[in-house]
Amino acid sequence: METKGTFVAYLAATDIGMRFDTFEALKGVSFTAERGEFITLLGPSGCGKTTLLNIVAGFLKPTRGALTLDGADLLPIPPERRDSAMCFQSYALFPHLSVRDNIAFGPRQKGLTATEVAKRVNDLLAQMALDAHAGKLPNALSGGQQQRVALARALAVGPGLVLFDEPLSNLDAKLRDQVRTEIRALQRRVGFTALYVTHDQAEALALSDRILLLNNGVIEQEGAPRDIYFKPRTRFVADFIGAANLHAGIAEAGALATPFGPLTGAGVATGAVTICWRPEMARLGPAGVNSLAGIVSSSAFQGAYTDVFVDAAGQTVRLQLPGAAHFAPGEALSFHVPPSAITTVADTAS
Amino acid sequence: MRRTLFVLLLLAPGLGLVLAFVSLVLYVAVSQSFGLYNLGGDSVFSLAHWQAMLGERRYWRALQYSAYIAVTASLLAVALAYPVALLLRKPFRGSLTLSALIKAPLLVPGLVAAFLFVNVISYHGIVNQLMLSLGLWDAPVRLQNDKNGYGVILLQVWKQLPFAFLLLSAAVQALPDAVLLAARDLGAGPLDRFRKVVLPLTAGAMQAALVLIFIGAAGDFSFQAVAGPPSVDSLATLMTSVQSTQGDWNGAAVVAVTLMALSLFGSAALAILVRGATRLARG
Ligand SMILES: Nc1ncnc2c1ncn2[C@@H]1O[C@H](COP(=O)(O)OP(=O)(O)O)[C@@H](O)[C@H]1O
Ligand SMILES: [Mg+2]
Repeated sequence: METKGTFVAYLAATDIGMRFDTFEALKGVSFTAERGEFITLLGPSGCGKTTLLNIVAGFLKPTRGALTLDGADLLPIPPERRDSAMCFQSYALFPHLSVRDNIAFGPRQKGLTATEVAKRVNDLLAQMALDAHAGKLPNALSGGQQQRVALARALAVGPGLVLFDEPLSNLDAKLRDQVRTEIRALQRRVGFTALYVTHDQAEALALSDRILLLNNGVIEQEGAPRDIYFKPRTRFVADFIGAANLHAGIAEAGALATPFGPLTGAGVATGAVTICWRPEMARLGPAGVNSLAGIVSSSAFQGAYTDVFVDAAGQTVRLQLPGAAHFAPGEALSFHVPPSAITTVADTAS
Repeated sequence: MRRTLFVLLLLAPGLGLVLAFVSLVLYVAVSQSFGLYNLGGDSVFSLAHWQAMLGERRYWRALQYSAYIAVTASLLAVALAYPVALLLRKPFRGSLTLSALIKAPLLVPGLVAAFLFVNVISYHGIVNQLMLSLGLWDAPVRLQNDKNGYGVILLQVWKQLPFAFLLLSAAVQALPDAVLLAARDLGAGPLDRFRKVVLPLTAGAMQAALVLIFIGAAGDFSFQAVAGPPSVDSLATLMTSVQSTQGDWNGAAVVAVTLMALSLFGSAALAILVRGATRLARG
């Protein structure tokens, strides 16, 4: 994407702001996406994900900011002429049209000939294993099938950018994992750029090349899934992605003064800090540094691990311990946290 | 079995009343048109009343005219109600007022509206005065009781618009936003969204509106009597004139049966034709 020697991202949003009356839903969001990249907008309900997606689709006009696709200003272009296609949370299939006609809607609208339309639709029906349902109306399909029709319908216009708004939220857990894998495989094969909205951190971690973590209308952190998970920058990020133990502490010359006594961490901050470590990083038994002890308050067996809540130094800490061992409430437990697993996070963004 | 009985019992008061009354009216009208159930003489089965009426030019003109008013008024009312219903799909400042305004004709009796209208367009009425003072017309123009029945159509549309609006708004508001956005996202402009998505998904309500308005307009008496062309009758005015000026109850019954047949078959035919047209428009 070299344009006259300067590098231009495929999709670039700059300082996007959106105000509904007095409520600021987006407060200056900037991000870019490269061609073929899978970007996830992750955040709690109401943080502005759908608003941002609707702005990219063209359904909403931002109150400020710039948006370009392939270097061209996107904002004056109406949604019907943007090179993007949306997969809606509710699927939004046309209830009066058969599966085949639903998929054919976009290509027909773009003025393709009947033979071109038929070829494209047949290809997609085959790819999505929908051949047997081509003549059915949407309400005769299962949720998973409707989901695939929605995806096929979006892909039928051959969009450079596909927008997903929580596409899996209406599926049951098992199907969700399966469709998630299918979407990613399809995206790799077809090569479209994906902007994928979800509030489900597991989905975001599994799917994304890059995650934009949105909170209260701002991007709190942006990065590859592993970076976001292991190097959260704020208390919110640490807490939202996975589980985290967060405790107030004072950092001084590499040592951390905490409610549990002195700990050694990987952080470089000084002064009042919030220390953070993931429950699965705890190891049973004492060690040379960062040894802690407490009383088990509750535990829950999860299969791959056991969630154990421990009262230590007046704080509740959470451990996720692999194996089949039982942890009974009231039992004394000693454990340690490797220094590399302890980081510090900011209490707020910016 | 007990369930069916129970349901029938529940339906009996409402449906029973309606059915009893409809069948009574039908029975009396049809009987009288064949000379039975006669109020003014011997009751003898006879085709003479039908033969006599079918031989009259004004009967055919009245049938044609009532059909013309009913078709035109129902199509126009629906055509005008659609954009308003779509506009008011999402609330905005003043949308409540606008929607109340559209429904206002429900409060004004038809006869009152007809007299008001005739006053406004009369030879010395406001419209003529205005056009004269603006210099657009040199002399007053005769607008009242125009021979094409435009005045009646205008009154019908005005009076019936609320029904079309109420039916269509309910249907249009039930359309999910996402479905309309999806059509837009896939390249459909406003016209394509209307004919490919809105129209097929609200066709049922549109048909209901057409049928209701058709039947109301086909049976019109007061608009025709006040604002209609003097040279032609509607079926309703013909019916009263046959009965009151000629004392011909049987002839009036023939017209009445004709009017009911027009209401039933005419409205059904219109609804089916328009549904077919929307199918074609969908492409
Ligand atoms: N049309 C609107 N008018 C007023 N407020 C809105 C509108 N759309 C969204 N909002 C508000 O903006 C915030 C973000 O909404 P949304 O983008 O839908 O959140 P998310 O998709 O992350 O759950 C919410 O607080 C919501 O109430
Ligand atoms: Mg949302």
